[in-house]
Amino acid sequence: MALTLHGTVADNTAVLSRPNAQPLIINGDMQVTQRATSKTGITGTTMEVQDRFSDVMGGAGTWTQTSDTDVPTGQGFTKSMKWDCTTAKASLDAGSVFSVRYIFEGQDVQLLKYGSSSAEKLTLSFWIKSPKTGTHILSFYQYDDARHVSKAYTISSANTYQKVVCSIPGDTTGVIDNDNGAGLGVEIALAAGSNYTEGTLATAWAAYNDANQFVGQVNCADSTDNNIFITGVQLEVGEFDANSIAPFQHESFGDSLSRCQRYLYDPLRGSASFGVLALGACLSTTICRAVLSAPAEMRTRPTIVTSGNLEVAGDNFSPAVTSTAVGVRTGTQAMEVQFNVGSGLTSGEVAIVRRDNNDTAQFRLDAEL
Amino acid sequence: MTYKLYNDTEFGNLSGVIQTLGSVKKFIPINEENADYQKYLEWVAEGNTAEAAD
Repeated sequence: MALTLHGTVADNTAVLSRPNAQPLIINGDMQVTQRATSKTGITGTTMEVQDRFSDVMGGAGTWTQTSDTDVPTGQGFTKSMKWDCTTAKASLDAGSVFSVRYIFEGQDVQLLKYGSSSAEKLTLSFWIKSPKTGTHILSFYQYDDARHVSKAYTISSANTYQKVVCSIPGDTTGVIDNDNGAGLGVEIALAAGSNYTEGTLATAWAAYNDANQFVGQVNCADSTDNNIFITGVQLEVGEFDANSIAPFQHESFGDSLSRCQRYLYDPLRGSASFGVLALGACLSTTICRAVLSAPAEMRTRPTIVTSGNLEVAGDNFSPAVTSTAVGVRTGTQAMEVQFNVGSGLTSGEVAIVRRDNNDTAQFRLDAEL
Repeated sequence: MTYKLYNDTEFGNLSGVIQTLGSVKKFIPINEENADYQKYLEWVAEGNTAEAAD
């Protein structure tokens, strides 16, 4: 087998020594958008468009988040996360904040060896098109011990894609619990009020102090002309610069979707009107119970999220579901869900739960962090 | 946004919390690893009370 090196041997260290089999960040190329491809009127913390990426927001104006095709040229990306400011916040409040956040499960970052003398350095890389030049801040947060570290970088040209490569030290003190809870979070700051900027930037791991988190961050929320684009988010174990960091690990759409489904599963994905959700049995004239299986084990027992009109259909009946679908016995892989109707089911008969004659009903299993 | 407790119709025990936000309804299991349940507990800790189960 022949190896092709790009640049010097040292410049290929990340490729040759990468300890993780798959990208640590899921959906870093912003391909997967199970919830929606656009959401208007965002003013608070939420996860609405790109899977696995949320915002952290408050007092920073109003935004529309979309999946966009404006991407850096020649990098192989096809999608980006776009934020369009629709109500500006030129003068930030003390508690104003806006960032894009990604959270890792604790068990997925044990390779960092945090809390030991072998704690690994980390390098975050991404492409960003910011409306503002000047200082921008990255922040890492360790949930189990409430510790953080931040890193400043400079945007040199507004409204132009720039590749950011920033390294942080390993945390030799805080231990990330080996579980399925929030272990490590990364935030790309876009605006921050004085509560988050009035201290000294935490350039070394320390107990969390909000005043030291986003010191120096420019205000990207100061005009409705502002649009922000982010894609190609990757995290590498080790310390790298723009020359030595490994290329982005592109995953197939199917692989990326499959990994996202640990956190959100949409069984009606791709279906139209009368799209089938599940097969069930009628326990009475008003109750149908159905079994749903997730394609991958979910992070935890999920929330059932529903909207729109479902119906229970069998031999000569198809009454509408009239109340919230509820979990009867939910697991992380399979669950029994109860659907209630006003009347019309035949006890003992098999039935399917499906959308009615429209394609707007939603049913999702949500186990996000 | 409202919260209402839900008792299992078969066993009668508290099995979840139903959150209503506009046209979106969530059935949140009693599960401290679930982020929605964690938010519900925070809401309760702020002094709020969910509507009783039917």
